[in-house]
Amino acid sequence: MGRYLSIFLTFARACLVRDMTFRANFLLECVTSLGWMSMNLAFYVLVFQFTPEIGKGTGWTREPFFAFVATGLIINSIVQALFMPSAEELTEMVRTGGLDAVLVQPLDAQFLLSMHRVDFSSFANGLVGCGLLGWALARMDHAPSTTAWLLYPLLVLCGVAILYSLVIMLAAATILLGRNQSLYDFWFYLTNFSRYPAEIYAGPWGGPLRALCTFVIPILLVVNVPARVIAQPLEGGAWGLVALAVTAAVVALVVSRLVFQAALTKYRSASS
Amino acid sequence: MSGLPTTAAGRPGPLRELATRLRVWWTMLAISLEERLAYRGDFILGTAMRFLPIVTQVFLWTAVFAATTRSDIAGYSRTDIVAYYLLTMVTRAFSSMPGLAGGIARSVRDGSIKKYLVQPVDYVSFLLAARIAHKLVYYAVAIVPFAVVFFLCRGYFPPLPDAATIAAFVLSLVLSFLLGFFMEATLGMLGFWFLEVSSIIFAYMLVQYLLSGHMFPLDMLAGIPTGIAGVSVADAVRWLPFEYTAYFPAAVWLGKIHGPELVRSLAIEAAWVVVMAAACRVAWWRGTRRYSAFGG
Amino acid sequence: MHNSSGEPATGAVIEVDGLAKSYRVFDKPEGLVASVRSLFHRPSRLVEALKGVSLTVGRGEFVALLGPNGAGKTTFLKLLSGIITPTRGTARVLGHVPWERADDFRRRFALVMGQRNQLWWDLPAAESFRLHQEIYRLDPARFERTRDELVDLLGVRKLVLQPVRDLSLGERMKLELVAALLHEPEVLFLDEPTIGLDVVAQHAIHEFLRHVQAERRTTVILTTHYMKDVAALCERVVVITHGDVLYDGSLAQIVDRFTTHKIVTLDLDAAPEPGRMERFGFPCEVRGPQVVLRIDRGRIADVLPELLRIAGVRDVSVEDVPLEEIVAGLFRAAPAPAERPVGAGA
Repeated sequence: MGRYLSIFLTFARACLVRDMTFRANFLLECVTSLGWMSMNLAFYVLVFQFTPEIGKGTGWTREPFFAFVATGLIINSIVQALFMPSAEELTEMVRTGGLDAVLVQPLDAQFLLSMHRVDFSSFANGLVGCGLLGWALARMDHAPSTTAWLLYPLLVLCGVAILYSLVIMLAAATILLGRNQSLYDFWFYLTNFSRYPAEIYAGPWGGPLRALCTFVIPILLVVNVPARVIAQPLEGGAWGLVALAVTAAVVALVVSRLVFQAALTKYRSASS
Repeated sequence: MSGLPTTAAGRPGPLRELATRLRVWWTMLAISLEERLAYRGDFILGTAMRFLPIVTQVFLWTAVFAATTRSDIAGYSRTDIVAYYLLTMVTRAFSSMPGLAGGIARSVRDGSIKKYLVQPVDYVSFLLAARIAHKLVYYAVAIVPFAVVFFLCRGYFPPLPDAATIAAFVLSLVLSFLLGFFMEATLGMLGFWFLEVSSIIFAYMLVQYLLSGHMFPLDMLAGIPTGIAGVSVADAVRWLPFEYTAYFPAAVWLGKIHGPELVRSLAIEAAWVVVMAAACRVAWWRGTRRYSAFGG
Repeated sequence: MHNSSGEPATGAVIEVDGLAKSYRVFDKPEGLVASVRSLFHRPSRLVEALKGVSLTVGRGEFVALLGPNGAGKTTFLKLLSGIITPTRGTARVLGHVPWERADDFRRRFALVMGQRNQLWWDLPAAESFRLHQEIYRLDPARFERTRDELVDLLGVRKLVLQPVRDLSLGERMKLELVAALLHEPEVLFLDEPTIGLDVVAQHAIHEFLRHVQAERRTTVILTTHYMKDVAALCERVVVITHGDVLYDGSLAQIVDRFTTHKIVTLDLDAAPEPGRMERFGFPCEVRGPQVVLRIDRGRIADVLPELLRIAGVRDVSVEDVPLEEIVAGLFRAAPAPAERPVGAGA
């Protein structure tokens, strides 16, 4: 474990050295990702020009909703920074055979493939997310309880774990199929569902969709559960969600690991 | 595309020249189609998934309308908004050019652009032909999910507009394809000057996403002043090329724009197509000149 | 040598038996109509990259794996490295089944591919080396000693601190080799390590490999298209064509077994009159005052005195047919591949 941490830190250091070599590019990346985020925030501000709440009686009024958005930013920035750059590079590695070099090294392939790149610029969004969370919570009617504050980091981690498992599943699919452009689009579209409160998925179509994205692909638990705990009163229903999020995270990690291992045995390697 | 058929003595006549050119185009089109079909799995999956973000948007606006006391937002009823998002899907299917700018920039960076400097083929025409092929195959596959979704959602649409409106809609779509193509191609050619254009492309996508109306109907910006008296943000955006790649055709179909305003907007759109096509040409000429001067 | 890792007592480091690998490839039909049709039905074939190779390599052997492009050399190395799993057959390297990818196994071998870059592109090689130290859990003192020794042997000490992207291909290859040898692997697989390098760099790499191999008794399997590599480094040669072993023996024997003649070069005072040399009855090539003859090996002893009696002979040399030519002949002589069409693939 200690060895893996030290290897990870070596990776992180190397990435930092590289980011600092191409400083202008790094800054540009920070700026664009902040730009993307502020654009989404502007859209939400616009939406709240027309309505006091998202969904009648859901409790997602302006400030709680921004706490929700902030939680999403924090979770996504962690995933974007730690896992996505490696996963994106995997396509290239499968295509050119770079994966071969990884497989001959005495190290867990899943670790190496999902964590060898760190994108520091993605942390920028997370920092803004923290600021936004503070702003939203300060302006809310009720303050989160101590229990909520204790649960929040744990649930954020669960959210990260669920998304990480999804990344690993996509990586496995990449190894099997040899390419994955649509798969990363799929990632984008799927995580898109997690961007809004689960309550909006209501009605004859929304209900089943909500169930699917909660129990089968637990994408709705990623942001919803931590955001709910921090931004809404902790009531009976919330505890069930907490248990569900923790269970989903564990199951997702195990399943994705198994799928990934199976995919590696099917790896064909690019011909050179 | 590049230069008109020449009738100078000793050269083939314009018809012959045109026929040759068409044959080259057809070959390029056929090759592109084959290339697309080779990755059919990705392709079908990708097409179906493009509807997913709409689903979220529809639920979001449904939730907004459930909580508000208004009957409409910026002139859009709940059903109008759903119809609007679905229609922007159609316009985006024409105007979006996935991978075009990035592909050009990459081929400049890795030197594969040399191929087009050597071969007797015009690069911009080649890209356009490839893109048309790409789009045709996309429509051939996408027509199925599109038809299904539009049939299921037929209740959200107002009655079919009149023939003139439909004609204007079709014209605006064709122009939006050309506009999207030339904007992205020009962007990609910045690769001749900048080593790393991915950030520029991303910045462009941001602006495009916000100002094209992809995110929300631009009429919602009508209430926001620009600081100039009597001019709202929505008014200002009308003079930019972006809204013609998503908002404009959708708004035409929904009857939000008509009469002289419609004619004026179509003229602006056509003008932007001409401007961007010229910009693309100039960027190619100057870029390749610079490229050969610096030896790649 | 003590036998701690379950290696057979015979000293065999690599034992391969009936190793086969086949791939299903999908044909990409040409033409638009066929492409559309292929949306629903894709014809596929089973390609046998390796058809059942058996091989035993002892400790400290330096084996050249030769074969034309697509013969299965790289597939073989990938199987032995555990990158891919075989269709049938068994293999043991250092007592391990490679494709189980045990850490203990992976710590004891290295794979270098000439066409692939394994160092971090934007960083100095020193950073990659340090990462290597972490991954292979190398003792810091020993790591530094090995690194300095390898770097000095190749004369690349100054390059270690430059970003890899700024280096030439030859310099990069040298650093790749250093990286691969840092953990002092017992088995080394080299896949075309000298591809695209100039003669000087090739020579430096030969010297280096020979030195390291002799010093450490490393077992090496090398694939290459350059006979210079083979002549400089390997005593044993394995020729693979179409996924089968065609020849496995010493480099000296390959010449004995597959050549029927020697090449005799005569330097004369002046160009011979036309027709004069032909009377010996051998294939003959006249280049001004120089005459090159191909003579049956069995007849050399008889013919040579006769040749020397020709007026104006200034110099004679007798050589074997060049290795390239022998190997090319071997490659050509192999039977054409038989590919099994599989018909409908989903």
